Amino acid sequence: MSIIYQAKSIRTMNPHLPHATHIAVRDGHILAVGTKDDMDGWQAAWGPLELNTDFATRSLLPGFIEGHSHMMEGMFWDYHYVGFYDREGPDGTVWPGLKSIDEVVAKLKEIQANRKDKDAPLLAWGFDPIYFTDRRMNDADLDSVSTDCAVIVLHASLHILNANNFVMEAADVKGADNSEFIRRDENGKPTGEFLGQLGFYMAMRTTGINLLAIASSPETLVNFANVARQTGVTTATDLVNPMPEGSEKPMRETIDADDFPMRLVVAFQGNSKEPDEAVARMQELQESNSDKLRFSLIKMVADGSIQGFSARLKWPHYYNGAENGLWYIEPERLGEYLKAYTKAGMQVHVHTNGDECTEVALDKIEEALRAHPWPDHRHTLQHCQMATRAHFKRMKSLGVGVNLFSNHLYYWGDAHINITMGPERAARLDDAGGALAEGVPLAIHSDAPVTALAPLFTAWCAVNRRSSGGVTLGNGTQNISVEEALYAITMGAAYSLKMENEVGSLETGKRADIAILAEDPIDVGAEGLKDISVIGTMLGGIVHLNQGRD
Amino acid sequence: MPTPRKIPLTIISGFLGSGKTSLLNHLLTQADGRRITAMVNDFGALNIDAELIAEKHGNQIALTNGCVCCSIGDDLMRTFIEVMQQDPLPEHIIIEASGVAEPTRIAGFASVDPQMRLDGIVTLVDASAHHLHSKDPHLADNYAKQIAAAHLLVISKTDLADAETLATLRDELRVAYPQVPLAEATHGHMPIDAVLGLNADAPHDLPSGPPSGPMDHNFVQWAGHLSPVPRHEVIKRLETLRPHVLRAKGILTDCDGAYVIHYAAGRVEIEPFDGDASGHFVLIGTPALPDNEALAQLF
Repeated sequence: MSIIYQAKSIRTMNPHLPHATHIAVRDGHILAVGTKDDMDGWQAAWGPLELNTDFATRSLLPGFIEGHSHMMEGMFWDYHYVGFYDREGPDGTVWPGLKSIDEVVAKLKEIQANRKDKDAPLLAWGFDPIYFTDRRMNDADLDSVSTDCAVIVLHASLHILNANNFVMEAADVKGADNSEFIRRDENGKPTGEFLGQLGFYMAMRTTGINLLAIASSPETLVNFANVARQTGVTTATDLVNPMPEGSEKPMRETIDADDFPMRLVVAFQGNSKEPDEAVARMQELQESNSDKLRFSLIKMVADGSIQGFSARLKWPHYYNGAENGLWYIEPERLGEYLKAYTKAGMQVHVHTNGDECTEVALDKIEEALRAHPWPDHRHTLQHCQMATRAHFKRMKSLGVGVNLFSNHLYYWGDAHINITMGPERAARLDDAGGALAEGVPLAIHSDAPVTALAPLFTAWCAVNRRSSGGVTLGNGTQNISVEEALYAITMGAAYSLKMENEVGSLETGKRADIAILAEDPIDVGAEGLKDISVIGTMLGGIVHLNQGRD
Repeated sequence: MPTPRKIPLTIISGFLGSGKTSLLNHLLTQADGRRITAMVNDFGALNIDAELIAEKHGNQIALTNGCVCCSIGDDLMRTFIEVMQQDPLPEHIIIEASGVAEPTRIAGFASVDPQMRLDGIVTLVDASAHHLHSKDPHLADNYAKQIAAAHLLVISKTDLADAETLATLRDELRVAYPQVPLAEATHGHMPIDAVLGLNADAPHDLPSGPPSGPMDHNFVQWAGHLSPVPRHEVIKRLETLRPHVLRAKGILTDCDGAYVIHYAAGRVEIEPFDGDASGHFVLIGTPALPDNEALAQLF
């Protein structure tokens, strides 16, 4: 059975036929792309093609590919969303955005008043303090919700968490020497704000909620896929997973189910085992590969984050004078792993945020390639936010790709100008224009759940480079065009995952993975990109529609 | 109801290759019935004898002596969660930090865990490579932080450095960190009582009886029975030995009654003791301490 889908416009990302109006789908793959007349020629040999006009007023693009996200995105939907923007849950429920700390507190009070088990921990997430500049949330806010149960609010960045005094007393918070991670008022009293992993750890140790188990559960995976699907994504990544022995079996069962609406590429946590064992484990994992589940990447994390002041920067380090950030692995060890994986023919994606880290990662990749030459290794730097043009030139020489964290421009752009980098260096933050100018294969990402997963929004960020405060970063040379941004969230990401022969463009023979949009993004242009309504997706020929979209 | 005793956490920090694993190995052989859980980067490097392994389960290996080794695998939080689910809970946790870890960050876990407390940060300084590590273009700042965070500094691999290098390093560290005890070790050979219990407050930690087993040539231990002596007097005597004492403990008595004195990481703690004071006093230090006769004289 073959179906021809008629559309208002089809943007194929295939340079031989960039624009079309009809696409024929058969057995989960694309039979043909072109005009109605082009379709007719196929019928002689392939039998009648049924015309479907459901999307005749829609615009079709290759299904979006999120090259750097985490399935953790799906883990919080059993708890209470308290973010700034309206957010649609995996079941299509819209959670209204809350526009002040008082609104957040009022919402939590309402939840507490209406729930049956008032002693159970009350966990909320998505809180985004960048929009509330007058003050920070504190323990008194959450004590006003309850002093008899744990009240915990996770920030959208996942790097910070607020707790009430019930939690702090249960944890017996101590140790003035760790004030870096426990925010305190002028009298040295903890304000209830905890940074980094400490907050998560404390929440688990005091409430008994096993966030780690929830993070890897099948329900979380399904929620993640549905959240991603609603934004037009057909292939996403879980860009670091330790994959304990045996965990691949339930994962594959979940993903291979017909109604699971997404392909998933899992990046194995590269240093969760010693190099030799890790290579062996990766080979074992690859036996579980299927059409929808891929173990094809290794992830290594080399430094921290810029906004957390844990990224490794070259001199003079941070604009505000904060001391240089952290290595998450010894550079020497990073080199050992890169050698082992390169030797085994395994592609590595390295998390680097600061420019010092990017440089060291390139040094280590170069060493690995000298030891074990591999022309199409396609090792990729992830985030790579502070790369200079010189770094991009070197990446080009080494055959290294980049996946930039373009959403940062919006979420932390103001902070990078004023606090972390200063105006000159902030201009080159996530320099997609620079990467393309130097010929480096480019993808862009959300790092969901750190920022909201929505490739059209990520594209908007790379095109406009505008912060949440309304400031434009850079002088225009760092911006990319709408066409380039759309390529980055489709073929660019596919290339970074070595899937460019399967997905990422709409052309004969490839998988029928399609994003169905209300408007053509090329026609809409730079400003409106992020506001285009996603009607649904097609995955391997199966249509998944969003509820209530037009 | 008495507060349940919190599990002490010891962090072994130092540059890649500075001898952290050797030290940990050596400590585990001295556990002597103490249920120590060691959090390590790599089982392989630990070189555990097959006959010492009682059970292997996931990323945990139970040893026949009651100790458990857990591999961290780059997920410290997950490993801490798993360790705190052990039944019975460990009596002491030792973590072998990665060569780039900031020990104060790791210590943060103890500060938000209801059942854990920081016992101490032990930083190894590789005598043979200090001149390289302290000038490393990417790691020098991190290295300096590890040293600055230490409650106990240990110059390791002393056998691989010449006398002059060693003397210079010793002076450098003493001048920079006059309050932090400084020990030296080869192949990780350190008495367990010099490393664990830096902050310990429980009198039952007191080693009883005469020094057990031969001490490595880098350490000396002295034990004696002290007649009633005022607390300030003991402190004064310890002060005279200061750079060379790593730890001292005693259950002593004076006109105000029995007390426990504990000296570690350069600090003295004194607490009233509920019971009969034995007068027992133990001291662990470097070879620079006066000889036994002189110590007996002093105390």
